[in-house]
Amino acid sequence: MTTAGLRRPAPGNVPPPAAGTRRGRAAAGWRLARLYLVSRRAPMALVLLAGLGALLWAALHWHWNVAGGPAARQFIPLTIETGAAAVIAVTTHGPFGEPERAAGRWLPWLRLGVTMALTAIAFGVLAAGAAAGGMPGGTVALLRNLGGMIGIGLLSAVVFGGAFGWIGPMAYLLIAEGALAHRSATPWVWPTRPPHDRGGAICACLVIVAGLVLITVRGPREPGREPGPAS
Amino acid sequence: MTAAAVTSVRRRTPRATSAVPLNAARLLRVELRRNTMPLMLPLIAALFWFDSYRPSTGTSPLYGLRTYWNMGQGHTILDFGPFVAGVAAWMGSRDGRRGLADLVTATTRPRWAAQLATWAATALWAVAAYLVFVGVMFAWYAHQGVAGTPPWWWVAVGVAAVTAFSAVGFAIGAYWPSRFAAPVAAFGGFLVMFLSFQTGFSHRSGWALILPTNSNGSFDGSAQTDAGIFYPWLPDLPIARILFLAGIAVAALGLTGLAARAGGPWLRRAAALVTLAGVALAGSAVRMVSTAQESAQGVVIPALHDAANDAPITYAPACGRAAGVPVCVNPAYRRYLPDVTAALTPVLAEVSGLPGAPTRASQVAASYPSGGDGPPQPISFGSHPPVLRLQLGLLNTPGPCGGCAGPVATTSYEAQMRLLFAHAFVGAGSGTGSPVQQAVQAALLRAAGIPFAAQPGLIAGTENFPESGPGAATGPVYAAAQRLAAGPAAARHDWLAAHLAALRADRLTLQDLP
Repeated sequence: MTTAGLRRPAPGNVPPPAAGTRRGRAAAGWRLARLYLVSRRAPMALVLLAGLGALLWAALHWHWNVAGGPAARQFIPLTIETGAAAVIAVTTHGPFGEPERAAGRWLPWLRLGVTMALTAIAFGVLAAGAAAGGMPGGTVALLRNLGGMIGIGLLSAVVFGGAFGWIGPMAYLLIAEGALAHRSATPWVWPTRPPHDRGGAICACLVIVAGLVLITVRGPREPGREPGPAS
Repeated sequence: MTAAAVTSVRRRTPRATSAVPLNAARLLRVELRRNTMPLMLPLIAALFWFDSYRPSTGTSPLYGLRTYWNMGQGHTILDFGPFVAGVAAWMGSRDGRRGLADLVTATTRPRWAAQLATWAATALWAVAAYLVFVGVMFAWYAHQGVAGTPPWWWVAVGVAAVTAFSAVGFAIGAYWPSRFAAPVAAFGGFLVMFLSFQTGFSHRSGWALILPTNSNGSFDGSAQTDAGIFYPWLPDLPIARILFLAGIAVAALGLTGLAARAGGPWLRRAAALVTLAGVALAGSAVRMVSTAQESAQGVVIPALHDAANDAPITYAPACGRAAGVPVCVNPAYRRYLPDVTAALTPVLAEVSGLPGAPTRASQVAASYPSGGDGPPQPISFGSHPPVLRLQLGLLNTPGPCGGCAGPVATTSYEAQMRLLFAHAFVGAGSGTGSPVQQAVQAALLRAAGIPFAAQPGLIAGTENFPESGPGAATGPVYAAAQRLAAGPAAARHDWLAAHLAALRADRLTLQDLP
């Protein structure tokens, strides 16, 4: 047996193309993106988002409405939008910490790209779920509420860490629920505003822009107490 | 090696039974110290203040109303439960996420026992925080002078709910060691709570009473306003809910012991038994609550009911006078006594000396009639001797009013009291009354300072009042009322003295009015 045998790639593994060529750069980029997506558990996030879309469809189709008027009808759809935002926020959690930050030149762009892609997918999936009809506020409200919630999730990931990015959207859900129940109408609680309300839309946009900028530039907070391979 | 040496080697060492709880306590202490739950508590405290405490301050200072939103509708559970489930899932998935599952399986202690220690630490933090937050809220209520007895049984329901959320979340994390376990557990908690709202608001009886957000029957804003004031909070439904939630918690914890890594065959069999016991407990609670009946004091479950809880709370009434008539209320309503006497003074003065006029007015416990014969009337007459019975708990008291368009003005409260008095005095009962009863009612109100034009609005705005009264202040009813009110007070008094019995028996027509 020679050492040549030990260097043979595993079956199914394609040797990387030579670096420097356009094809090589594309393959390396694709490999980088694929590894990033896997490390952020993006496939599982896609499964969960699809499940949330199906859940929204079921809720609208079978009228899972909380009694109490138009405001109460928003509770279940808003909860599902919160779930989608929480899933996207949690995907920002990176298992590698400092080494990845030090070596990953493309990391900010990967964070931005993946987050925006997941946001678009979440909107598409939930809009498909809303096709069952009866979505309070329609797709305009869905876009505003989901976008704002994702922004809160990203900000939460920046502050608490990616693994705890779900806290922000869930807390905001409670605040929105209380505001809906007590007829509060500040634009910062945009789910309480009509779908075409400018103030609510501006606030939601500000939050998602802030979330995207911070998650791109700073990334999620690295927890110091979670050593070892994370999932 | 000699036989003696073999014997000494094989001699059994005494079992250190005392070391087992000591080690368990050490493990628990370590888990308490390394738990994520304390980091979540500031956020939960803020949400608790925003969602549970703040809205409650917009209600009357009576425990039944103050705690209707946060205890009756389960908002303290909503503020805690999903976050506790999320953190518990995070803790439950810890070994799996860190790739330590095989390592901890190889330790001397069964993995299930170690997992239970992690769960116990999480649950202890959550339950302790729940009790502290609720305790601070109740202490603040006491500082504000909220009257009545706090609903301690419902606090126990909250504790059971927080424990159940932690157990279910932990089981999710233990079986799914993923970064998504925590948000999925929290999301599931919110979804369950909102679906519980959906079912709870629309089901007034049956199995749905087991849902921790169902405020119908046993914690109703009207029927139960006087719980903890005139009669104790009935523990039947809270006990059933505690059993249900405890069953869920036990079943979830049992599930974590079913995995192959949890321990030996005996331990896993024990875990299976625990799971079955939990399911049976929850199922029994649902079956018990299906037999619940609504009484005047709340929900009664025959299998859990203790007759000792039906005994009313004794009290020394707070009394005042209105037009010379003693008016007595429960001390919890003492702050409203001046409003009540001020409201009753003009109408009592109007009927003073008439046969059947009340000789005293007493507050009685607010309760719904079980037969459902129309809306309950907050003011009614008891005969022999005629006593005015005031169910003040059915009225929105002056000041902040939860669920109303705004605070209740004292003038509005007094006008409603006068309307309800006049309605009861003419013998209209739970209905709108005959035309002549409506006319006399309108004339009495006019004499008490409420103009005819204002009366339709007053009727429409009075809670529990039969709505189909006279629409506008016109027509034959108001014409007859104006005729009666236009005459001198003495003539009206004499006419009432002669015709009150016939009026109440509905034997008069509008033509019989002077």
